[in-house]
Amino acid sequence: MAGYSFTRRRAILLLSLTSVLLITLDLRGSSLINFTRSAFGVVFRPIESATRVVTRPIQNTWNGITHYNEVVDENRRLRDLVAYDEGATVAAIASVREAQELLALNGLPTLAGISSCTAQVVGNSPSNFSQTVELNRGSECGIKVGMPVLNAAGMIGKVTDVYSKRAVVMLITDPGYSLSVKVVNTPPTTTTTTLPVDPNASTTSTTTTTTTTTTIPRTTTSTIKGFTPGGTAAPTTTQASSTGSTSPTGAVGPNQPGKNTKSPITVPPGVDLPLRETGALEGRGLSKRPIIRFVENQPRFGSVAVGSPVISAGGATSLAPPDIVVGTVSRVVKRTGTLGPILEVKLSANLDSLNFVRVLLYQPITERPTVP
Amino acid sequence: MIERLVFIAEARYTRLVLVALLFLSLQTTIFNEMRPFGVCLQVMLLLAASSGLAKGSQTGAIAGFIVGLLYDMVLTTPMGLCAAVFAIVGYLAGFVHTFVHESTWWSRMLASLGVSAIGMFILPIAFTITGADGVLTTRVFLVAFVVAVFNAALSLPVEWVCNWAIKDEAMVR
Repeated sequence: MAGYSFTRRRAILLLSLTSVLLITLDLRGSSLINFTRSAFGVVFRPIESATRVVTRPIQNTWNGITHYNEVVDENRRLRDLVAYDEGATVAAIASVREAQELLALNGLPTLAGISSCTAQVVGNSPSNFSQTVELNRGSECGIKVGMPVLNAAGMIGKVTDVYSKRAVVMLITDPGYSLSVKVVNTPPTTTTTTLPVDPNASTTSTTTTTTTTTTIPRTTTSTIKGFTPGGTAAPTTTQASSTGSTSPTGAVGPNQPGKNTKSPITVPPGVDLPLRETGALEGRGLSKRPIIRFVENQPRFGSVAVGSPVISAGGATSLAPPDIVVGTVSRVVKRTGTLGPILEVKLSANLDSLNFVRVLLYQPITERPTVP
Repeated sequence: MIERLVFIAEARYTRLVLVALLFLSLQTTIFNEMRPFGVCLQVMLLLAASSGLAKGSQTGAIAGFIVGLLYDMVLTTPMGLCAAVFAIVGYLAGFVHTFVHESTWWSRMLASLGVSAIGMFILPIAFTITGADGVLTTRVFLVAFVVAVFNAALSLPVEWVCNWAIKDEAMVR
């Protein structure tokens, strides 16, 4: 009995020590652990593929039983959505093209200049506590740890593990994910017009506030082929001068629309351009929507409107290049004092049904391995 | 040389590894897709618990460790974490069952239910200890309940498989 007890104690001690050793090695980024995982993946993939083929009918039966009504409803909804989006897509493509031309003209980085690798999602994490997906492309395609991953709708996450023919992507909803983002808040297009003052009348003036949309004067030409500046009507405001006449607010100050002879681009009046505020987007797990913190409570930025677009901020230390669509603001939680609001974000990408994704071959500085 | 290979192939933990690989492939395919109430069912945990029920606490701990280590290979969590948790589950399954005077089918199912629920509570705690955020939420209760009920329902056939896999070499011959 004593011998049995000693053996059992020794076995438990050995197992505990082995676990602690393995956890320590893995947390310190041991290459041995990575190699073991990679080698196991090579051995295990064929078994997994065979099992997937065998169990496919069972999965289909299960999905047929549990998701049939949802699929029918979704199909109907998507047909409506496709019809609705067809018109909007044409306008969006034109806007994106114009924006890219403008960015290129000013030497600013655009997504068009970053190479990418298209991959397919081959599996989710079998765990209940981590939100990851696995891609069927890896280092052979140039994928490295930290690269942003997006699909047609927007950002979905970042690469956390890379092997030769597969990569693991941490989804944007994972609590370990954090990204610098911009919230584009469109201010209300209000115009304050002061009625012309009759010099003969009394000095009392009347101020009215109306919502208007005014087309800015198209005074500038461009040398870009196929590009017409000012093609999109931007709203502007008129401001009363001391003399009682009205003039665009952008006509005052250094950025005068159409007045700068050195620039071939029209700079629209700045007041009514969408205002942008940066913050940090954090995942909160599958059951909760991600939130944005650290949005400053600036009067100029105003109240964040529900539905405002959220895009990646970019920058030297950001995990992703700028202007990747993340989602829209779905809820604004106001806080007292100087603390800015917390914004809940409805993601553009549907993380439940990921298929083809694009890995931007852009490795952030923070994710690059440090040279000892 | 060939005799040695045959000996290794006949070893009970070799059989357990092969069975665990089969279960792992089921875990990453069919049970990854079929998620009742949004919960991923944990057949690897079931295998660890059933090993303990079938062969006692010591063998259960070792078998749980092996099963958990294989599971760690496909997860992004630190290597050895699931191995440690599953070893505890395997040990507990064997240990709890020693208190049963005459084991019945329902006592085994009940033990499997209990240790599976405990395992699903220990797992997020272990994740949190190793630095993961946001896993210790109220959802853990739902996950533990669904996984425990599923594991209890399948504990008898899996225990039979474990009984076969971890059989002594002499009995196999």
